Amino acid sequence: MIHRFAKGRPLLAIVAISASWAGPACAALGGDAASVVADGAELHGVVNSTSLPQYDIEEITADTGMRVREYVGRDGVVFAVSWTGPAMPNLQRLLGTHYVEYTTALAALSRPGLHRSVRIASSELVVESGGHLRAYAGRAYLPKLIPAGVAMADLP
Amino acid sequence: MLTATLLSACIGGKGTTAATPVVPTLNTMTLTVDSGPAAATGQINHAYVTVKVCAPGSQTQCTNVDHVLLDTGSVGLRLVRSVLTTGGVTLNAQTDSQGRAIEECVSFVGGQTWGPVALADVTLAGESAAKLPIQVMDDTGAGAPTPATCGANGTLVNSVSGFGANGLLGVGVFAEDCGSACVSAAAPLPVYYGCTTAGVCTAANAALAAQVANPVAMFAVDNTGIIVNLPNLQNANGDASVQGELIFGIATQTDNALPATGLTVLGTDANGDFTVNYNGSATILAALIDSGTDAYTFDDPTIAVCASGAFIGGYYCPTVAPQSVSAVNTGRSGTIVSNTVNFAIADPNTFVATASAFINLAGGPASKNFVWGMPFFYGRKIYVGIDQRVADIYTGPYFAY
Repeated sequence: MIHRFAKGRPLLAIVAISASWAGPACAALGGDAASVVADGAELHGVVNSTSLPQYDIEEITADTGMRVREYVGRDGVVFAVSWTGPAMPNLQRLLGTHYVEYTTALAALSRPGLHRSVRIASSELVVESGGHLRAYAGRAYLPKLIPAGVAMADLP
Repeated sequence: MLTATLLSACIGGKGTTAATPVVPTLNTMTLTVDSGPAAATGQINHAYVTVKVCAPGSQTQCTNVDHVLLDTGSVGLRLVRSVLTTGGVTLNAQTDSQGRAIEECVSFVGGQTWGPVALADVTLAGESAAKLPIQVMDDTGAGAPTPATCGANGTLVNSVSGFGANGLLGVGVFAEDCGSACVSAAAPLPVYYGCTTAGVCTAANAALAAQVANPVAMFAVDNTGIIVNLPNLQNANGDASVQGELIFGIATQTDNALPATGLTVLGTDANGDFTVNYNGSATILAALIDSGTDAYTFDDPTIAVCASGAFIGGYYCPTVAPQSVSAVNTGRSGTIVSNTVNFAIADPNTFVATASAFINLAGGPASKNFVWGMPFFYGRKIYVGIDQRVADIYTGPYFAY
C-alpha cells in the first residue's frame, strides 16, 4: 500500500532524476540532502520534494512500488527515513553509519531470526520495521535531531 | 442422481447396487509444536511438519526433512542445503535465459535468506507437487556468494540454528512468493538474482511460473488453501509439546468443509494483509495471521518490555499479569466483516522453562503493524485461502477462523 501526501499539501519543488543517474555513495540517516539524490538513483526512482515549515520531505518512488521518504531538517541533516514497498529497501544505505547499531541491537534480541515486526530504540536511534514479501513498511529516526515541535507520530 | 438413488432404494431395498466409492486423497498431516530440530533445540511456539522432497523425477534421491516450520505469513518451501545434502538429495539451481543461476534473497524483518531456486518433487501427506520451484537456503555457500544488496537488512539466517528449523513451509494467501512486482520492473527488485558462474549476481525479474511457489497451490486437488488445526493448551504456563494437524484444501472434502455458521472470513488486500484496530485505537494497522511468528506481536508502549529472564528483549512482561487487551480485525476485500478478539498477556517469566508451547505470549516493542502469531492458533481452526481460489462461497485471498 502506498500512502500519498495528505490533500492540500503542495509539492513546492519537483525534481526528476533519470534512472541511469549515479550519485555519490553517501549515507542517508544523519547525512545531507545530497545523499537523498544518491538513494534515488539506487532505487531507480523519481525524487519529489515537499517543503514544510520545519523540514523538507524528499520522496523517492519507483515503478516497482518501492517508496522511500527522507526527512531533512533546516540544518540540512536527514533526521528520519521511512519506507514502504514489496521488497525491503537497502537499510545499510538508508541507516548509514547507524546501521551497525541497528544490527547489533537485532542480534541482542532473545530470539533473532524470523520476525515480521521489530522496534529497536535507544536515545540515539529508533528503527521500526515490519511486514513480509509484497508489503514491507518501516521508519528510522534520530531522536536527538528531530526539529523542535515536530512529533514523530505526525510525520507524514 | 438423487432420483436414481431414491428409486434404487425403493426397489432394491437393501442398497446392494452402490456406486464405487471415491477414495479421497489423504489431505492431513501431523503438525507438531516442540523444541525444534536437534541442531537448534530450545525453540518456542514453532509448529513443524515433515516434508518429503525428491530430486525432480527421481524415485530414489529422496529424503524426509523433519522440523520444517509452518509459516502462514510467507509463500514457498525453503530448505536448508546442508539438511538436503545429509539426506542425499542434490537440487540444481534453475537457470535464466542467459544461462545464469537463479538465486533469491528473501527478507524477514531483521534478516534474510539467500540461495538458489531449484525444482523439487514435494510430497505432503497424500498430496504432491512435481517440479515445484523451492529455495535452497545456502548455508554451505555452495552457490554464489550473497550479494551486498542482500546483506543490507540485518543478519543472514540461512542455517538450521539461525532459523530454528530445517526449512520453512510457506503456505500463505498467494500462489507465488513475490508476484507481479518481480515480473517486469524496469529496475528489478532485489529479490530474484541472476548469478554468473563467477558468482556475480545481479537483481533480475522472474516470471510467475519461475518464482518460489506455494506447494498447496500446485497440488492437483485440495489446492484452495489450508486449515491449521491445533488444540488448546493444557497448561497456562506452557506445554512441553502440542500435536495437531495441517489440512490441505478448503471445502474440497468432508474433512475440510466450511462450518455452516460462526466463521469470520477476513479478505486481505493485494499484499496479503487485513487490518487491526488495537485496544480501541483509531489507528489502522496492517495485520496477518502468522504461524511463523512466535507471539502476538504489536507495539504498545504502555506495557513493560521484559527486562530480565529468558524472554528479555522483544517480549512483553506486564507489571500486573495477565493483562487483558483486545483487537478488532477487519477484512479488506470480499464481504467486509469485523471481529473483536480479546486476549491476555502473561508474564513469560512465570512460564515453564522446558515447555515449548505458550498461549499468552506477546511480543514487542514492534513496528506499526499487528501480527497474530502462534498463540492465536491454539484452540482455533485457522483457514488460509489462496488468491483467486474458490472455496464454497469464498474466494481468496483471505484468513478465516
